[in-house]
Amino acid sequence: MHERAASSSRHIPRLNGSALISFGIKPVGIYTDEPVKTDPNLKDLDLTGITVLGEEWGKIDVEKAASLAPDLIVGDWWPAEKAYSGLEEGVDEKSKKLKELAPIVGISQGESIVDLAEGYENLAKSLGAKVDDPKVAANKQRFEAAVTAFKTATAAKPGLTAAAMAPSDENLSIANPKYAPELLDFQRWGLKVINPERPDPSFPYWETISWENADKYQPDLILWDSRVFTPTVNAEYGKKQPTWFKVKAAKAGAAVSWPGYWLHTYGDFAVELEKLTTAISAADENVGN
Amino acid sequence: MTTTSTVAARRASGLVVLCALLAVAAFLSIAQGSRSIDLSEVLRALGSLGGDGTINSTVTVELRVPRTLLGILVGAALGVAGAILQGVTRNPLADAGIMGINSGAAASVVFAITVLGIHGVEFYVWFAFAGAIGATVLVYSIASMGREGATPVKLALAGAAVTAGFGSLTSAIVMTDIDALNELRFWQVGSLAGRYAPILIGVAPFLLAGLAVSLGCGRALNGLALGEDLARGLGQRVALTRAAAFGVVALLAGAATAACGPIVFIGLVVPHLARFLCGPDYRWILPYSMLLAPIVLLLADVLGRVAGAPGELQVGVVLAVLCAPVFVGIVRYARLAEVGP
Amino acid sequence: MTVATLTALRVDRRRRTVRSVGVTTALACTVAALFVLTMMVGSYRLSAGQVIASVLHLTDNPSVDFVVRGLRLPTALAALAVGLALGASGTIFQQLLRNPLASPDFVGVTSGASLAAVSGIVLLHAAGLAVCAYALGGALLAALLMYVLAWRDGVSGYRFILIGIGVAAFLDGLIGYVLSRARLTEARQAMHWLTGSVGQASDTELRFLLYALLVLLPAAVLLQRQLRALELGDDSARALGVRTELSRASLLAIAVLLVALAVAVAGPIVFVALIAGPVANRLLGPAAGGIAAAALTGAALLLTADLVAVHLLPVPLPTGVVTGAVGAPYLLWLLATTNRQGVGG
Repeated sequence: MHERAASSSRHIPRLNGSALISFGIKPVGIYTDEPVKTDPNLKDLDLTGITVLGEEWGKIDVEKAASLAPDLIVGDWWPAEKAYSGLEEGVDEKSKKLKELAPIVGISQGESIVDLAEGYENLAKSLGAKVDDPKVAANKQRFEAAVTAFKTATAAKPGLTAAAMAPSDENLSIANPKYAPELLDFQRWGLKVINPERPDPSFPYWETISWENADKYQPDLILWDSRVFTPTVNAEYGKKQPTWFKVKAAKAGAAVSWPGYWLHTYGDFAVELEKLTTAISAADENVGN
Repeated sequence: MTTTSTVAARRASGLVVLCALLAVAAFLSIAQGSRSIDLSEVLRALGSLGGDGTINSTVTVELRVPRTLLGILVGAALGVAGAILQGVTRNPLADAGIMGINSGAAASVVFAITVLGIHGVEFYVWFAFAGAIGATVLVYSIASMGREGATPVKLALAGAAVTAGFGSLTSAIVMTDIDALNELRFWQVGSLAGRYAPILIGVAPFLLAGLAVSLGCGRALNGLALGEDLARGLGQRVALTRAAAFGVVALLAGAATAACGPIVFIGLVVPHLARFLCGPDYRWILPYSMLLAPIVLLLADVLGRVAGAPGELQVGVVLAVLCAPVFVGIVRYARLAEVGP
Repeated sequence: MTVATLTALRVDRRRRTVRSVGVTTALACTVAALFVLTMMVGSYRLSAGQVIASVLHLTDNPSVDFVVRGLRLPTALAALAVGLALGASGTIFQQLLRNPLASPDFVGVTSGASLAAVSGIVLLHAAGLAVCAYALGGALLAALLMYVLAWRDGVSGYRFILIGIGVAAFLDGLIGYVLSRARLTEARQAMHWLTGSVGQASDTELRFLLYALLVLLPAAVLLQRQLRALELGDDSARALGVRTELSRASLLAIAVLLVALAVAVAGPIVFVALIAGPVANRLLGPAAGGIAAAALTGAALLLTADLVAVHLLPVPLPTGVVTGAVGAPYLLWLLATTNRQGVGG
């Protein structure tokens, strides 16, 4: 569970799925990085009538896409790779031919999920979606309310620190907010997300430490990588990793799912923010150091 | 007779020296790591068996002690398994990998992750064990069909074919399941990290039993080393000896691979070191390998922990770097004829 | 030598030539048919006529042309070229090393190419043509390593195979370590490459392989003919021995180049090189050993494997998975059923 490959980059012939479907725009086809049924971006969305063109990174059925005759292809732009997702280096040569079918547009992955959500809102607007549709407007309002609540909660606990962590059998990884737009958003809204001291030189998204050094960071609240988070996972690690409960927040059970690397929309972000706000309000700011 | 007993005495004193070195390596492995702990604290934790609840004592007693014990057992098992395999197959480059053990274990681990949804080293130990044993049995039974039985070449080829077959299956699954790829590639390096008392207690009986039996194999291996015909002439039941030796190898390498992932190189290199130190007699090569391998493994592990702090380098990576030149040297300069057909 | 024996020899040779030409032509037709067939099936069904017309630029239908020329032709060409290269290279290895198991898959050449390519992807962030170049370099280095390690003992012995398998296992172990050091995205890119798929070739790499084939295949056929003539002829002269060694070495170099290029373009596709030669020999009967026939057999095998991998299976898989899943049991069956001393070792 390391890195963003398990991410939500999706590119959708004709019109983007997750981000645009929520604005009422239905694409003719979608392609994803992981099976459609486990993709958090697509949960609760109505996919009937949408052709699935690929459920694995690097594999897009371009023939099938051609048969759908798309007018536009939508995918996130990854500035580091300088490519739309699904068309980066290393994918099948055939998949890359997708870009010959239609123009591609996409919002850049950057330093804030809000920019991403806003970008897709504007894109949807330019494609003719009714952004003032009550359901769409409600999503945005809910998001704005969630941000306000989040700010209030963090303001009420000025000493509260958090760290984004991903424990595994062999080591413990701490995420570096610099590369995680949602963590940067949290910092902007008043949550003190710890910046790791020595990010891994090979992949600075994480700092990886051994279990012997598990107590290096002592946050008051653990943001647990959502890709591996379950309600019981903290207790499981307490049982199998002798030093996990030396992280005081872990011992206190102060752990909440952190939506790493998949958020695209106001609606999804609002739901996640509400969960975090609850956790922040319940957290004790004197657990960690 | 005097010379024979002098040689025996020299070899025996070599064993004593190795025991002392192993004790030093084990102590280093407990005292050193990615976390720096005062020696006095280490000793206090060992004395009180981790009673005081500080992280330093937990790290010493619950992380480093089981890790060191597991390193000793797994190292000994891999060293001995390599020595036996090289003897039985008379292939100087034999190690558990060419018997299909790693690929069988990997396929089984991937199956456990993707089909059964099992995660965590402590659970897929048993799948890895079953896969390793299954692959070895498959390789051996295919190679032993036909008139002349399990000859070295047929074993090597059967191993290569089984490895390729399992490899195809594994990559077919892993390509469509990114999380399985991620778990597999870390399991596949071979590491002592994250293995604690439950895993140690789980595999120790198999490893200890295998090691005990293996020490009795020396004479039979000496017979086989003379060549099949000669061994048969000396009244040895070649097929039976081989089958028994493979049983021991499957047990040792299977359990070791299950616990730590495939750690290659050590089973390949250590028997050559042993042969260099004590000569071609398997009655000595086996105990020498049994002591040398854990020394190498523990020292490599300590190096990886100290060099990688605050993280760790997997022991498999350290061994690869250390052993690669040794490997080339062995192939190029060792008198391969001694073990070869 | 009497007139009768001379006549008998001549008749025999003519019979072999006829069989060889016949079989090779039949194989070529099969390969051509498979080549067109792979371009007919897919999400769009096309007729053979449509495919051929589009490939030869006889018609102008943008949607058909996009599918045929843009998507299917490169894959089909890659399967054809890689199959030809693997088949030719496998049979040359087997003949020169006088061992039916001495396929480049087993003696470390393929593993060397893989290790270099994967290291390039993971450590040097290589992509595209650079990966191809690393694979080529790796294969050549591995071949050199095998030469240094094992040549002394004579390449026809089983020792060569044993050492080859050892070297291959060692290199594969290193690949595992490189993979574990990678970022997940690169690991996946490397895994894609490692599984071997004819669909992954880019146009530049493919063109390179095609040009190389145009030169190397005829050269191999000519060299083989020359070598046979030398071996059959009166080789009492010492000079001839030198020439034989030279042709043998150049032939082997061509084989290494062919397999290296094939691996560079499509990744390691296992077992095709091992099987193509023996299958062709069975078809050729007394005329066994023809490089052209083995190359065509390789192409037919690979085109079929790709058809199965992409169209017949419920989920499209890399070609290497299919050749591995079919080839491994085949080799095991071969081992299990063989009783001959020569193969059993």
